[in-house]
Amino acid sequence: MKFKGVTLNARTAVYLCLAVAFLIPLGMDPDGYLLRIVSMVVLFAAMAQAWNIVGGLANQLSLGHAAFFGLGAYTSTLLFIRQGISPWAGMLAGGVVAAVAMLLLSIPLFRLRGHYFALATLAFAEVLKIIAIHFADLTEGPTGITIPYGEPSFANFQFESNTSYYVVIVALFAVVSLIFWKLSTGAMGFRLRAIRENEQAAEVSGIDTYRIKLGTSMVSAFTMGMCGTVYAQFTYFFDPESIFSMTGISVRVALICIIGGMGRLWGPLIGACILIPLDEIAVNTMSDVAGLGPFVTSVILIAAIIYEPRGLISAWERLRRRAQKKHAAQSGQAAGAV
Amino acid sequence: MLAFIQSLLDGILLGGIYGVISIGLSLVFGVLGIVNFAQAQFMMLGMYAAWFAWDSLGLDPILGVPLTGAVIFIIGYAIEKLLLQPVLKAPPVAQIFLTVGLMILLENAVLLIFGSSFKSVVVSYQQSGLKIFGLFISVPYLFAFSAAVIVCIALWLFLSKTWFGRAIRATAQDENAAVLCGVNVKQVYALTFAVGVALTAIGGAVILPYMTVSPTVGGQFAILMFTVVVLGGLGNVAGALVGGLVVGVIQSLSAMVLPVQLQNLILFMVFIGILAFKPEGLLKEA
Amino acid sequence: MKTDLSKELIGITGEFKGHVPLLEVSGISVTFGGLHALSDVSFTVEPNEIIGIIGPNGAGKTTLFNSLVGLQKLSSGHVNFDGKRISGHKPHSIAAAGMTKTFQNSALFPGMSVLDNVITAALLRNPLKTARQESEKVLKKLGLYEVKDTDVADLTFPQKALTELARGLASGPRLLLLDEVMAALSPSEMDDVIGVIKEIRKSMSVSFLVVEHHMRAIMALCDRLIVLNFGKKLAEGTPQEIAKNPQVVEAYLGSSASVLGGEHAA
Repeated sequence: MKFKGVTLNARTAVYLCLAVAFLIPLGMDPDGYLLRIVSMVVLFAAMAQAWNIVGGLANQLSLGHAAFFGLGAYTSTLLFIRQGISPWAGMLAGGVVAAVAMLLLSIPLFRLRGHYFALATLAFAEVLKIIAIHFADLTEGPTGITIPYGEPSFANFQFESNTSYYVVIVALFAVVSLIFWKLSTGAMGFRLRAIRENEQAAEVSGIDTYRIKLGTSMVSAFTMGMCGTVYAQFTYFFDPESIFSMTGISVRVALICIIGGMGRLWGPLIGACILIPLDEIAVNTMSDVAGLGPFVTSVILIAAIIYEPRGLISAWERLRRRAQKKHAAQSGQAAGAV
Repeated sequence: MLAFIQSLLDGILLGGIYGVISIGLSLVFGVLGIVNFAQAQFMMLGMYAAWFAWDSLGLDPILGVPLTGAVIFIIGYAIEKLLLQPVLKAPPVAQIFLTVGLMILLENAVLLIFGSSFKSVVVSYQQSGLKIFGLFISVPYLFAFSAAVIVCIALWLFLSKTWFGRAIRATAQDENAAVLCGVNVKQVYALTFAVGVALTAIGGAVILPYMTVSPTVGGQFAILMFTVVVLGGLGNVAGALVGGLVVGVIQSLSAMVLPVQLQNLILFMVFIGILAFKPEGLLKEA
Repeated sequence: MKTDLSKELIGITGEFKGHVPLLEVSGISVTFGGLHALSDVSFTVEPNEIIGIIGPNGAGKTTLFNSLVGLQKLSSGHVNFDGKRISGHKPHSIAAAGMTKTFQNSALFPGMSVLDNVITAALLRNPLKTARQESEKVLKKLGLYEVKDTDVADLTFPQKALTELARGLASGPRLLLLDEVMAALSPSEMDDVIGVIKEIRKSMSVSFLVVEHHMRAIMALCDRLIVLNFGKKLAEGTPQEIAKNPQVVEAYLGSSASVLGGEHAA
């Protein structure tokens, strides 16, 4: 379709719609519930994208990304409260702490089969939870940390309007997605795909699989740490149970990717758009029934694994291919009839 | 010195239980090739089954072992057939996340049914103990340990003397060869999983006299079980038993110097240390 | 004049350094839990040589290849490539040094096209843009250009084997180990591939170590043969010498006709 000299194909149309969709919340009531939910959706999409870097690209299945999330939140918040260091700098520091933790964890694990990485990351998040609860001098203990509300300023990472937080969260999602996109295309994209499909053959073809997996997982941990800072600043409060939560964070970000499509650029956003509102509905309508929310989450997870383990994007692509084939077959038949 | 021996003894009594609850995890991995992240939740199910039998029938948890084992065996068999079978040939991501899903499912299903309150049983020997050479042996710990030993012997007899046990071991060693020998591998998978989770559940049932149960009790044991099976070598059944004893002793000795809450931290360090230096487990020589 | 000078220079440096073969395998052994998969195997490969490794099933041919490219740890012995010690190095750094292998049961990257498979290896020595051009060149040479956009999962067996070969070549090796790339080929396809390999040796100066069960291919392709039996080197020599070697004949459990002449009879 030609429109004033600009060729408008389906792809650019989708991107245009997407850009508009991201702009709509700017017009929402800054104190409203809706903006908060939309912000949460995008924040979880960013977190899932961080997981997607290691889980989807390097095929290292982390079950403990809450660990890196929590390290980011604790690092920036403690630096801010105790040293008065701007959370923006704290965000980078938190990313570094998370990346170093990933490095130390990965060195013994990457030579082993994938199960061990999943086991160890899960255990790592649990252990950080114990440390955060027990060493109260360092972490304020089990009650968690409330970030004191000071003068709203950019340097303090505190804003008057929730709309500003929304903008920050969208920027975070954009940055993590850009990193994902950079890694999944170009020469690195080839290498990561090769590692994913056949590690031995990749190694023999001259790819340093160990280093690439290590680097990729550290990038993933770094970005997850950044998400932790933004989450802390956005919610003003967190505690060890919630920030290092396995079902609330670690499994959730993986599930978002699985639903949307692991290793796909738009998988996390699609997954978050479905899962986060669903969780929200479950919590709001049935909050008096303990356990129903996670129960529903687990049913969705199991169903997704059994029926569509490659996610909605793949399902959609398959449907489209089938439709095209059918179309081709029909036109072929028509031609044959003539 | 006496305190040290006492600690060692406590550790062994604990470790026998850890061995039994972890054997199932290793057995399932050895035969099906998947790490069952929901294994600890079957221990929790076993505890609830035993508690329910005690609460409604007045059945002692240790005497109720056959009943608990049978109930969880059936649940495990059904879960394997319905949920695990479809992903056995799927990539690791599907297997890992399926059992993770199962873990959350079981925990919250129990929470929905029984609520979050702690449940415990009352039995006559709960507080009693024996004094031998200045050492104190708690009777419920001793009973649980003895039950664990009996269950291990029964498992060993099952695996070595029955046709089905041999079929399980054959499948673990070489699936294709087992098929050629006329073994129905799908059936072996389902039964192995059922036996594996029933063992773990029994380990849960026998500790009920000295342990309260809540839906989240499994989570407390998850890291412990990982450490046990990694120590023994993932997939190594005898190794899991040895690993259990080692972990029991480590835990009991570390309790002399460290607060109880930090025991999982110690276990995690053992876990990572083993993976870094002896990933095939303690029993196999490098 | 110019050529004379360079010849002289090579002569001089050769004298200083002594003779350095491209690959020097010195007494390597591999044991799996007490079982000797390879014991005390030694041989050398010169630049531009094509050497065949033959032997009955289980003789240790694939283990030998895996230990050369770094996939298999050696129990003892060492391997030098171009005068430098490479045993103990990881496969990727051995590939970077210039030695790589193809896989017996095609280990291509599924879900990727033929071209993408080859580009992945070409990236070892090229940025993406030239990697693509180099890969297309290799595919043209091997007659795979027409299927370059096909997913490797949809290829026929011969195409898969050739793609393995293409991927191996694309990484720019000086020595390429071919593990039964011709197993699935028809006689005429085999002749084509033999021609291509010989041509590549000339134009790209690549040496080859070849494991192959088709004796006809081995005889037509190789300058020298190494015979393995139960992990030990049994004999080494020109194809003609090997065909007459009584020990080799013995190892193959039959008359010479069933060893190397079998294909002629068939």
